[in-house]
Amino acid sequence: MEKNKKVKVNKDCGCSIEDLMAENSMKKGLDPKKGLERLCSGHENDFEVFVDPDIEKTSNDFYMKKMTDGLPIIPPTRARVNKFLDYSSRRSDDVVAVLPPKQGKATVEKIAVNAVMAGCMPQFMPVVEKTVEAISKEEFNLAGVNATTHPVSVCTIMNGPVSYELAVNNATGCLGPGNIANATIGRALRLCLMNIAGAVPGIGDYATMGSPAKYSYCFGEAEEENPWEPLHVERGFEAGTSTVTVMAAEAPQNVNDHRSRSAEDLLDTIAYTAATAGCNNSHVPGELLVVMSSEHARTVWEDGWNKEDVENYIHENASVPVNLADRGGRKLDESWIVDNEVRITRSPRDVVLVVAGGAGRHTMIAHGFGTSSESVTLPLTINGNSVHSITEYKQK
Amino acid sequence: MNVKIMEREILNPLADTQIDDVKLNPIPRSLSRISLFNNTKPGAETVLATIKDNLGDYDFHDARKPAGAGASPKQIENAADSELSILALGDCGSCTTWIVLDAIKLEKKGVSTISVCSDKFAPFARELARSYGAENLKIVEIKHPIAGQAPEMVKSRVLNIIPQIKELLGV
Repeated sequence: MEKNKKVKVNKDCGCSIEDLMAENSMKKGLDPKKGLERLCSGHENDFEVFVDPDIEKTSNDFYMKKMTDGLPIIPPTRARVNKFLDYSSRRSDDVVAVLPPKQGKATVEKIAVNAVMAGCMPQFMPVVEKTVEAISKEEFNLAGVNATTHPVSVCTIMNGPVSYELAVNNATGCLGPGNIANATIGRALRLCLMNIAGAVPGIGDYATMGSPAKYSYCFGEAEEENPWEPLHVERGFEAGTSTVTVMAAEAPQNVNDHRSRSAEDLLDTIAYTAATAGCNNSHVPGELLVVMSSEHARTVWEDGWNKEDVENYIHENASVPVNLADRGGRKLDESWIVDNEVRITRSPRDVVLVVAGGAGRHTMIAHGFGTSSESVTLPLTINGNSVHSITEYKQK
Repeated sequence: MNVKIMEREILNPLADTQIDDVKLNPIPRSLSRISLFNNTKPGAETVLATIKDNLGDYDFHDARKPAGAGASPKQIENAADSELSILALGDCGSCTTWIVLDAIKLEKKGVSTISVCSDKFAPFARELARSYGAENLKIVEIKHPIAGQAPEMVKSRVLNIIPQIKELLGV
């Protein structure tokens, strides 16, 4: 604006402030027109007030642009995103991964934007960042997982002290609603898949029906309830290391067994529930997630079975008759056939066994994406050093 | 007095993309050796066998790959033992993905490719190829569905695309 130029007053706003000022001038015997001058003639506005965007409007705008999962989002303002960036050990423009199918560059800032939208707390940022890094590993096969017609989702399992610090639910209802970490970490990952990777249903995600597990699928392992070693220790990490495991998995299916009192009986119920013809594993064997309640785990443990015994038993007994197995999307390889049956796992190591959940005699099983994806476990680190508290990111 | 109320900036959740251009190979006019790269999807074998029976007098050899994941280096080497590789079948999300991505691997090795995808998934195949810098990857559309159909039905659908494949071959 040119210096000393009078600003034309716009009275269309209806706020009456201009009229009140003119009236006040008249009362003082002054020229009412002078009352209409700007408080500062050098600026168009006397005050600029910044307000947060309207949540409902932003949610609707983003929804219309296919940038949400259909649920309302928190508007990702700069201030909100900056709070998340404080919890990253990287620079905001660092590329954590390039994600298919769109080959979107997952910068730290883009991950933070989607985490804000999901309703995460800033402290969850390192976990969301690590899950994005994990799904980009070649063995995870994100290109296939994102685009497939199969209803596979990404399940995030947390282990170690950070899982407890963030109060990730590993107890009653851990696979259901009611906990902000479980609900939003998985949701943040889904929004990253949609907005960074381009896995928008019908555009880059061709799941025939999709799955409710695609909204959010995140829980912690109840390590103190586990009579065996927890998942991250089984995979070679120290118990005090915080890890994130991502696994391409279907929605969980329940195994209700209230009567078995022996390991063998209980594991038979689990194996028979898992041995279904229509899963990918029946014709291309792969990983099987087994989330055992502490009551079930204790029954098996008290019978003298170690974790390896359990994984061996499930591997050997979860099998499908070959005539039912060979109906999937890929021709059954004859090398998978044992005694006219197909084991749904390639080896005992494919049984991803964790303990979680509250009181009750239930286990959850979830089939993987067959041979087409391997789960990935990564530690939370800063400069290569293991992280014991999320506050270390803030203090970096 | 003017009070201006402004909404705080909202950051864009969409990402920039990283596209590395891939140099695609023309199909040699003196073509002789063709690999038929079968991802074992139901109907893929019939698709490739029908192409083999109707394309002309070439030296065909068979190669196999997974459907929902990438071919191993050995499987790529086997398919690359040719001047042209015809890949089938992209008729779902993950298999279309890996038909396209394995075709790009072959193109990077100097082998021309033709990818057979169903019309329901061909638009995605093209978009994926574009995202990977191979916008003009040769993709032939066959009518969907192929899986779960009688072999005679599949054959008749393949016969409909033979002229397109011949045109790409320049014959």
